[in-house]
Amino acid sequence: MASAPSESTTGVPLAIFKIIIAGGFGAGKTTLVGAISEVRPLCTEEVLTTASTGFDDLAGVEDKRATTVAMDFGRITFGSHLLLYLFGTPGQDRFWFMWDELSYGALGAVVLADTRRLADCFPSVDYFEKRRVPFVVAINCFDGAAAHNTEDVRIALDLDPQVPAVLCDARRPESVKRVLISLVEHVLASGLASGTGPGRRIRLARSLASITGG
Amino acid sequence: MGVGDDKWVDRESGPVVRPYALTGGRTEPVTGVMLDLIAIVVAAPRGAGGDDRTGVGPEYRKILALCGQPATVADVASDTGLPLGVVRVLLADLVAQGRITVMRQQHGDRPSADLLEEVLHGLRAL
Repeated sequence: MASAPSESTTGVPLAIFKIIIAGGFGAGKTTLVGAISEVRPLCTEEVLTTASTGFDDLAGVEDKRATTVAMDFGRITFGSHLLLYLFGTPGQDRFWFMWDELSYGALGAVVLADTRRLADCFPSVDYFEKRRVPFVVAINCFDGAAAHNTEDVRIALDLDPQVPAVLCDARRPESVKRVLISLVEHVLASGLASGTGPGRRIRLARSLASITGG
Repeated sequence: MGVGDDKWVDRESGPVVRPYALTGGRTEPVTGVMLDLIAIVVAAPRGAGGDDRTGVGPEYRKILALCGQPATVADVASDTGLPLGVVRVLLADLVAQGRITVMRQQHGDRPSADLLEEVLHGLRAL
């Protein structure tokens, strides 16, 4: 990326947003990030113990004693000056400390729910409610999963009325796109955005191309 | 996490060199500030006297090269292939040395509605 020369120096204010993708193991976080964004390798330094065997998504870290674990990380570029970064939450309880730093300053979060294991996303819902991070619940419609309507899920999760719950297919970009749109609309509607001010822009002498290597 | 821990003694134990060996075992940034994943870092302009990088380790050099253009912390970690926490410690060292400038720390502020509308437009146009 940074090796590519900046193609232009437009000086357009650059805005970067961070969205957290949460949910239980196997809820489809990696699939969702891959469906809509340019996936980039990213690892963090944790030691997997045998306690996690059979629970973790170990793709890419097949050595269970590896000292690093892969994190879901994807990037979406809009036009010349907007970047949306997606980060999947590490899926183990002892990674809670990472949730704090992930969610700090985040635009919002998507909680992926698997109706076959709905309880898996309770901690995510609790977390974002407590931290007042705006979030939407995306019900991943797996093949073979019993069809649920969003109302059932809302009740099961005891969601606040204003929190959107949407059905999605994490494999389909169009579907994931709608999830992200519902999140941004939710942030806007709940007045969590500041009405005035420069927002999260930064003046860069260089264009977005310097970040994306584009 | 002790190196002398029994589970680290044989080949089956995986890599012998732990990630934080690159940081001299330090896991906390020297600046005391955790860089946000999407904070933008950039190498400080080389001064008139030239930037003396002698004595700067290979990982630092790699990061400095990547930061020739503004880059996010997450992207630097991704491009170096180093674990995130390690990159944060190394970046903080470079910040403390004046070799890296943090261009953006988004903590605390909220996005403007206008900007969010732009994100919405962008998403819809995908």
